[in-house]
Amino acid sequence: MKLTAQSGLGAVATVVGDALRRDGIRAVLTGGACANLYTGGRHQSVDADFIVGSPVSRAAVDLAMEKIDFVRAGDRYVHAQTRFYVEFPRGPLAIGSDYRIRPVEWETKYGRTLILSATDSCRDRLAAFYHWGDRQSLRVAVRIAIAHRVSLAKIRRWSIQEGARGGFEQFANELKRARARK
Amino acid sequence: MVVNIQSSPFGSQSRTRVLLALRLLDESYARELSRVLEMPLSNAQKALRSLEIDGLVAARAVGRTRVFRLNPRYFARDALQKYLLRLAEPENRLQASIESLRRRPRRTGKPL
Repeated sequence: MKLTAQSGLGAVATVVGDALRRDGIRAVLTGGACANLYTGGRHQSVDADFIVGSPVSRAAVDLAMEKIDFVRAGDRYVHAQTRFYVEFPRGPLAIGSDYRIRPVEWETKYGRTLILSATDSCRDRLAAFYHWGDRQSLRVAVRIAIAHRVSLAKIRRWSIQEGARGGFEQFANELKRARARK
Repeated sequence: MVVNIQSSPFGSQSRTRVLLALRLLDESYARELSRVLEMPLSNAQKALRSLEIDGLVAARAVGRTRVFRLNPRYFARDALQKYLLRLAEPENRLQASIESLRRRPRRTGKPL
């Protein structure tokens, strides 16, 4: 699938994930681009963060990315046709102190890629809210929980481990209010 | 030959000392770190950049300043914080330098 200036972040992230998978590179989409997929594009971001799951050379990543016309520019990969760029932050794949993360497969017409589950994407956004006080991330977490089935029990347990019992209560209240408005 | 008297378990003296200072200060910026650690600003900036890439520190913008702290979302942050605190114990000079910083509020306009 050729990327164009009209390609959205979701399409770009899926095409990249698919290209990496086809080259045998196990990479999981996280962060804002993952939230973008779960909110149907309502959460805007300009980069797609992939965490690589097993040791892989920079040359192998370069090669996989070149096949879809991404070139390395410093520590990110850019494409002539799209403003969205791709980064590979250092692992391990973790959400706060929890590193036992099981990604799920996301398949669309653009391809197949590994991403965080809806529950984990929600936790990923909440981590930014808990640790940085970022209310934009709280709003996105609520949007994900409205649009997808998430395990509130798992989120609650993890929030308490992160020392954010109060933060979870705020999230639960916001979610309740958002559901009532629906 | 120069004999290194301090260990650098995080890859370089600069990286290790920046982490120690951030552990003691909670948060800081490159210029303050270079002052406290008595190292060139460029070394502090380079150390912060590489630690950020490794996910050990994270920054937010406050006006035009990038303020850094140990990454609260780092998966091993509790263990890292304990380790750094232990490493900081014999660092008398660093501790004295940090203790000399005034960080409590000062009312606007109040003379120094």
